[in-house]
Amino acid sequence: MSAVLGTAGVTLGLVASILGMITLALGLRRKNPGLLRAGQRYTWLVLAGGVVATIAMQYALLSHDFSLKYVADNGSRSTPLLYTVTTMWSALEGSILLWALVLSGYLAVMARHFRDRVTDPIVAWATLVALTVAAFFFGLMAGPANPFRLISGTIPTDGPGPNPLLQNHPLVAFHPPMLYLGYVGFTIPFAFALAALITGRVGEGWLVETRRWTLFAWGFLTVGIVLGAWWSYAVLGWGGYWAWDPVENASFLPWLTATAYVHSVMVQERRGMLRVWNLSLLVATFSLTILGTFLTRSGVLDSVHAFTESAVGPAILGFFALVVAVSIALIGWRGDLLRSPGSIDAPVSREGAFLANNVAFAAFAFVVLLGTVFPLLAEAVNGDQLSVGSPYFNKMTAPIGFTLLFLMAVAPALPWRKAAAETLHHRLLWPAWAGTLTVVACVLGGLRGLGPLLAFGLAAFAGAAAVRQLVLSTRAALRSGQPVWKGVLGRANGGMVVHIGVVVLAVGFAASSAYGHKAQFRLAPGQSARLAGHRVTYLGTSTVVHSNKTTTAARVRVDGGKVYEPALNQFPFGSQAIGTPSVKTGPLSDVYLTLVVTPDEQGVAVIGVNVQPLIAWLWTGGAIMGFGTFLAAWPGGRRRRRVKAAAPERTTGAQDAAVPEPAVAR
Amino acid sequence: MSSRRLAWAAMGLVLVVALGVGARGKSGPLTEDQRVHRVASVIRCPTCRGLSAAQSDAPAAEAIRDEIRRRVQDGQTDGQIEDYLVSRYGDDILLDPRANGVGLLVWALPLLGGAAAVAGLVFVVRRNRVRPGRRRVTAADQALVEEALHG
Repeated sequence: MSAVLGTAGVTLGLVASILGMITLALGLRRKNPGLLRAGQRYTWLVLAGGVVATIAMQYALLSHDFSLKYVADNGSRSTPLLYTVTTMWSALEGSILLWALVLSGYLAVMARHFRDRVTDPIVAWATLVALTVAAFFFGLMAGPANPFRLISGTIPTDGPGPNPLLQNHPLVAFHPPMLYLGYVGFTIPFAFALAALITGRVGEGWLVETRRWTLFAWGFLTVGIVLGAWWSYAVLGWGGYWAWDPVENASFLPWLTATAYVHSVMVQERRGMLRVWNLSLLVATFSLTILGTFLTRSGVLDSVHAFTESAVGPAILGFFALVVAVSIALIGWRGDLLRSPGSIDAPVSREGAFLANNVAFAAFAFVVLLGTVFPLLAEAVNGDQLSVGSPYFNKMTAPIGFTLLFLMAVAPALPWRKAAAETLHHRLLWPAWAGTLTVVACVLGGLRGLGPLLAFGLAAFAGAAAVRQLVLSTRAALRSGQPVWKGVLGRANGGMVVHIGVVVLAVGFAASSAYGHKAQFRLAPGQSARLAGHRVTYLGTSTVVHSNKTTTAARVRVDGGKVYEPALNQFPFGSQAIGTPSVKTGPLSDVYLTLVVTPDEQGVAVIGVNVQPLIAWLWTGGAIMGFGTFLAAWPGGRRRRRVKAAAPERTTGAQDAAVPEPAVAR
Repeated sequence: MSSRRLAWAAMGLVLVVALGVGARGKSGPLTEDQRVHRVASVIRCPTCRGLSAAQSDAPAAEAIRDEIRRRVQDGQTDGQIEDYLVSRYGDDILLDPRANGVGLLVWALPLLGGAAAVAGLVFVVRRNRVRPGRRRVTAADQALVEEALHG
């Protein structure tokens, strides 16, 4: 029953995508508004297909319909309700279904948003491109990654349940959907970028249309990545949150190029420059989401040769190649239209800083991409077995990270076109002192190490620069009789809030990487151990049998206060015991406890203890970044002021209205 | 020297002194634990994905740490210990690929790319600076301005 319904949903999505593409193509060819209108309507059918397929999958999971191969492989009667629901994205086929659902949702929102302009060729082309992407993902489900394939042979009465790591923490309900909202969201700006190239309308109009879409996708991706790090910290039990694992890198790569884009797009809006570059960044971001899916979903990471075992890997890789080839061909074809009218007058200017920012982000993305795929390439080319891991990434990306922090401090203070020394002195002196004094205070406080000290100093510099901008914009809002909160709305001000989030996150990252302590202690009940000023006392263990697992939990008192219970879980179908860390979290440091070895005959257990400073700053920073993105995407500000003042956009940017620039800046 | 420059020079001095003191670190040779950690952090845990032998609690990682500790106690250098582990587990036990053979590329390419990017950036800015006002005002442009002003 659910198989029939699900297959119907997938087929509906696929057929509606293809029919929509054909209708739009015909409409564009014959310049027929009726056909264009009809073509747009197919997006609703695609959405219906995605929703029906998802309902079918959820129904199959919840009703334990083991006649479906996906449910038989990944579901189980003993899995708690929450993790039964999340089983949908615990394996390949279901993840593709989630992707298709999110994409069909974005498509429908896009169709609704542009409903008054359906006959505009640029909208029609963008819809056509987005429908092509949808056709690919529904096609994957209709073919090699069919989530509704029936089991061959006898239907089992129970299944193994999802991967034990994916039924151990509620974050699994939030991290993947957030990540996918980010990944898939970049389809819309990508579609408009291609549409702009195809129609030849490569001016700034399409950018303005897709600005907010990009911001939202970026915000979701940011929050998704931070939630992923948090999940990793809370579940994996090694005490860290980021291992430069290929799966993590796959989510980080599009983030890097998208971050470069949200900055450089301002140069194009303002000065009309960097058109080819911005298009390339959008294409790169979208391509990297597809490449990431290939890396994480094809099995290529387990072995270079494994991915051809199923047709999914080659299909995704082929689609990736198609996207890259078509985009490069289009950019080449429209090359003459893309020549930018403006030029950079001085390196020390806002646009100069954005350019440097983009070079840094591009270099960052290049290093991460190279390090991620290098072992695969080396093995594929001449059979060499190599690893590229965290020491490589840390070494190569640290200088880029410092550069970015520095730019983040300086760039908001730089005026467009050209900066006078007087301006820089006036705007940067106090933020720079904040950075310097932070370094002095850290050194006096006994902190050592060039890396972390530089990070703290630059972070304070950048944080002070962002706070300065916000104070100025808030004051300007008050002066013009607006409420205080207007001072943090809009892209420039929301952007500064995001910067503060980055600063908080960077401080947490630097501190926890540099000043962590890690040890394992063999303790009998009643014994204590000390690490980095914290005392842990082992009290004993208890074993609880749950429906889906057997849990052995140690009771550990931290600093004579609350008792924490790190545990080891034995799942019926999993061979290896899965740990559940327990964390005493605080604003200044985390005490992270794991049960490494269950008690022996004498009752001696091995307890792992990680003490790391400022871990909570990572999650806080991520939350601030998400909130800042929301403020930046807030409608109004720019637009409303433009209507009121009826002045051209170029001179009414929120930034200029908020920060009076001296005459030298012009 | 103007007061403006003086302010920045003073700040630079304070910063350099503070970083100089901070970067020197706690003096003295590394302890045995520190050396074990330093070697283990570039060794892959054979049974995990993406974790180093210093990070993981897996038995295989622990065995490697014990092996490293034995060799540190025997007075071997970091390089000797790494060589031993490579001979035992293969090249891919190192998380930091060695800069020879194919492995050289993973180090060299970003540096070359970075140098090229910086050179390109300098070129772009330079090119634009040596030709200021390269666009001549044409009669048509002037007519447009006239029309806008008086039309």
